[in-house]
Amino acid sequence: MAVYKKTYRPYEGALTGPLARLLVIPRYAFEELHRSRFLSVFFLATFLYPLISALIIYVQHNTSALQLLNVQNARGLISINVTFFLSLLGWQSAMSLFLAAFVGPGQISPDLANNGLSLYLARPFSRVEYVLGKMSVLVILISLMTWIPGLLLFLLQGYLEGWSWMADNVRLASGLFFGSWIWIVLVSLLALALSAWVKWKPAAGALMFVLFFVTSAFAATINAVQRTHWGNLASVSYLVGTIWVQLFEGANKTTNGAVFFRSPIGEEIPLGYCWAGLIALVLMCLYMLARKIRGAEVVR
Amino acid sequence: MSALWMRQIGAVMRLELKRTAFSKRGWWIYCLAAAPVLISLMHWLMARRLSRNHTVGEDSVVFAAMFVWFFMRGSLFFGTMGLFSNLFRGEMLEKTLHYYFLTPIRRELLVAGKYAAGLAVSLALFIPSVALSFLLLGRHFGPAWTDYLTHGPGLSQLGSYVLVTTLACVGYGAVFLVCGQLTRNPMIAAAVVWVWEGLNPFLPSLLKKVSVVFYLRSLCPVEVPVPPPFSILAVETDPSPFWVAVPGLLTVALILLIYAAVSARQGEISYGE
Repeated sequence: MAVYKKTYRPYEGALTGPLARLLVIPRYAFEELHRSRFLSVFFLATFLYPLISALIIYVQHNTSALQLLNVQNARGLISINVTFFLSLLGWQSAMSLFLAAFVGPGQISPDLANNGLSLYLARPFSRVEYVLGKMSVLVILISLMTWIPGLLLFLLQGYLEGWSWMADNVRLASGLFFGSWIWIVLVSLLALALSAWVKWKPAAGALMFVLFFVTSAFAATINAVQRTHWGNLASVSYLVGTIWVQLFEGANKTTNGAVFFRSPIGEEIPLGYCWAGLIALVLMCLYMLARKIRGAEVVR
Repeated sequence: MSALWMRQIGAVMRLELKRTAFSKRGWWIYCLAAAPVLISLMHWLMARRLSRNHTVGEDSVVFAAMFVWFFMRGSLFFGTMGLFSNLFRGEMLEKTLHYYFLTPIRRELLVAGKYAAGLAVSLALFIPSVALSFLLLGRHFGPAWTDYLTHGPGLSQLGSYVLVTTLACVGYGAVFLVCGQLTRNPMIAAAVVWVWEGLNPFLPSLLKKVSVVFYLRSLCPVEVPVPPPFSILAVETDPSPFWVAVPGLLTVALILLIYAAVSARQGEISYGE
């Protein structure tokens, strides 16, 4: 071929489907995660709580098991109610925060630190697809920890207790599902935004904890010093806890959340403000991602 | 210790201070240090305008709670983590640690210089933060607050809080220096330490003593109870006396630093891993 004909020619063959392209990122990410023994063990350990919960549900409905354990009266000891499922969601979400703090910061920062982002975006792969691909890693992992075992437990309880229980408590299932998704979106975006802005992975992971736990302490400090409840707006766990309680119970509140996600009675702030706080946080994360996820960076 | 060693430690410290102190990377640590000061300032300004029905004593209890739950569990812990674990690990990531290792300086002195720099920055950030928060919190009481400081227990309490802050920086600093040196991801070690320190009120007496926070809380002038609903799980233990808490923490920090120095002496760099 003559030299003058050796110019740039775009690829003209068939492209893989958009979904297949999107799944390339999680595929490689999971391979890498699988190599970390600590993360694998930690991830498996997070299923301990749902497993114990499943055993409790099973034993509660198995008369012979109760007789065998000589605890026939234990049926009423642990009630399978809103507190049971809210605690499950709270505990699993707290574990997922730890997982996100370990996994999340490694998602974007290496691409940015090594100028690898252009290699993604030079392909038929948009910025949104890149973020969604990176996010899917956390979404899949946290889903496996939160709403999937939650709904399986709900189905197990419904199967053993009867259809009427399921019909009466359908709000628990919807609360589990939507409550988990609120948490998943929030944590995933937070982890990715911090990963994009803080190049040092441990610092980004530490910031996840800071945003979650230190903001709670900060909120409690504002409340104590200013003798108010509005400091709770600064606490991510409070905002999530309040919305969860609303999703699980509606207006007839009997609990104040679970694990770290609590809205103490007497310290309530209107639900609309909680939603506004979370939406503001999500929008801030999206803005942070939009600022950093660019094919070319202008260095001044 | 020879004059040369002191000069070398000083040189490392100066270099580290340039790198660590007031760098853009540490913005979140400065926020952690500034946040309580802002709250106290807000309290002062708002309480001056609106007459609030609370006493000096109530404000001192509020500060004690702020110190335990915000400073000790939050800003001091995460702040020292950010500063000290970055001293070695940050250089590993930037692939600059070998420049230090190629200089004719004992590795022990390198560890000492880096630790001294981290300690200087953390003290420079958190001691003013604690002192200002304390002083501003009750400022709106006017002469009553001045009286509380000069003739009451105010200054003594402030001294105790400053001492606890210093010891926290020394203790956590040593822990995180070792974490940053020995682990690829100091976050994992820090998370373990954080959970362990958080569980401290609920642990049996013997296990409580295997932590930094137990000794720090023993030195706090005002006791802060564990809030409900967790209070039912808390295990009451006698606080450690001053003569045990202070030398104990310093000894633990020294042991950790010696360990870090020995590790640095035997350390080899492989950036590729």
